[in-house]
Amino acid sequence: MEKILKDVVLDNSDEIVRMWIEQVKKNQGGAFYQSLSDEALENTNREFANAIFEGIQKGKIAKTPLDEFAEKLINLGWPLTYLTDGMQVFRRSVVKFIIHKWEDLDFSEADNYFELGDDYFPWVLEKVDEWVDPLVNELVSEYSGSWENIVSLQRMALQELSAPLIPVMDNITIMPLIGTIDTERAKMVMESLLDGVIKHNAEVVLIDITGVPVVDTMVAHHIIQAAEAVRLIGSRCILVGIRPEIAQTIVNLGIDLGKFPTKSSLRKGFQTALELTNREIVEDTNREEEIENLIESLDRSEEE
Amino acid sequence: MRIPILKLHNYLLISIQTELDDKTAIQFQEDLLEKIHSSGATGVVIDLTSVDIVDSFIAKVLGDVVTMSDLMGAKVVLTGIQPAVAVTLIDLGIHLQDVPTALDLEQGLIKLRQELEE
Amino acid sequence: MSDQSCVYIKKEWDIVAARQMGRDIATQVGFKTVDQARIATAISELARNIYLYAGAGKICFEAIETVQKKGITIKATDEGPGISDLAQVMEDGYSTSGGLGAGLPGVKRLMDEFDIISKSGEGTTIESTKWLR
Repeated sequence: MEKILKDVVLDNSDEIVRMWIEQVKKNQGGAFYQSLSDEALENTNREFANAIFEGIQKGKIAKTPLDEFAEKLINLGWPLTYLTDGMQVFRRSVVKFIIHKWEDLDFSEADNYFELGDDYFPWVLEKVDEWVDPLVNELVSEYSGSWENIVSLQRMALQELSAPLIPVMDNITIMPLIGTIDTERAKMVMESLLDGVIKHNAEVVLIDITGVPVVDTMVAHHIIQAAEAVRLIGSRCILVGIRPEIAQTIVNLGIDLGKFPTKSSLRKGFQTALELTNREIVEDTNREEEIENLIESLDRSEEE
Repeated sequence: MRIPILKLHNYLLISIQTELDDKTAIQFQEDLLEKIHSSGATGVVIDLTSVDIVDSFIAKVLGDVVTMSDLMGAKVVLTGIQPAVAVTLIDLGIHLQDVPTALDLEQGLIKLRQELEE
Repeated sequence: MSDQSCVYIKKEWDIVAARQMGRDIATQVGFKTVDQARIATAISELARNIYLYAGAGKICFEAIETVQKKGITIKATDEGPGISDLAQVMEDGYSTSGGLGAGLPGVKRLMDEFDIISKSGEGTTIESTKWLR
């Protein structure tokens, strides 16, 4: 930015900020702004203006006040349009102001000199653009970069959540499904289910759908396909965690789950799994007897 | 290309180690039925651990082999079907409903014994 | 049509050659094991159809890349008798050869996109694409 223009802008920052705020307010009529109090909007607008001017004063440094301001807005969930609108209005205000003040500018020490009647308008526009454009670019890339970051982190987290496999016992593995299942996720579930069966050498897999909110034909179809694939690779599936409302929808939709066993709870399913692998739970009765003997001996000692 | 068929007591063991083309598959079908006939085997384990593609033709040949062997009094168990193969079969709409399966050769032999005892 | 490679289907072993080439290309594009198997199986079905019904033809592969996604396109062409009733061959369980009748509808399910053009007496062209997830 030409020094002469920069000086005139900085010297008259109060005037420009006033123009800017007036103009910006006219654009802020959308639903998002109506949910904010006038005071909050006013304060943020002032902060925005200050950040812009501080940025100009300090020039190019690694972390400009504008960056910090943008980061804050992103975290608060403000729309990107607030920032881009604001910068556009700022550009217009500055151009308007400079042209308004043109007559008073002192070009005696400047590189450029304009005669009376010269067309200075394109020159001013170019200089202001040179100055505002990098700021806008920086803001937008900061904003979208931070969003992309959040989205990719969430996608990773979701993938990790997607299909955990828990080998609870030799030959018995549990896959708890939580959340909505779409085609993409169903495919992932099926693949990690099959790989897990091989990896853990699971004879029986329990698929727990307690955490699946809705079981429609599509979800049921995917679960049936997964169960059939599991059978093909030589293992068996038990579907557990069927809540009453899910049993109702399954029957009402005419979905046939008859081909593989289903159980209402993980506990019952686990018992079936034990039976299928020729095992059972044996209660350890010795301890109870021990306690009874102890109590008896206490009784006797009291009598004596 | 012929697939070797091994005999162990009353069982026949086959491990398919090659890319299956149509001729090999048909040849295998004939060889196996012949072997069941000559050996009087009561159980067959076909291990598919090293097979990475089963298309509808091969699936049909395998399904047919199971039914044919059954007719001749020999139970067949397929073992070691790879996850990728299972997924493609399901996509193709081939469920091999009546074919017993097991995770590996060992489990396959256990399953055979169970099926034959029943 | 830069990255195109073709396999001519004339004898039975060409089916195996086609699916091996397809699998190689799918691996290069970056498909994982399960999708590699899907693609190779689809190729096997298409190649077998050519061999059984048209006698000869070719299968071409193309690795494609657009702004949003990468994938592989399989194009099966023959100059055989053509298919008279397209709706019928796309039905599950329909077969004239004593197969499982899972061929073409199966390919459609294995892949993401599926296009078939066939004229009686002029031949058949099937183009099918799988996108990288």
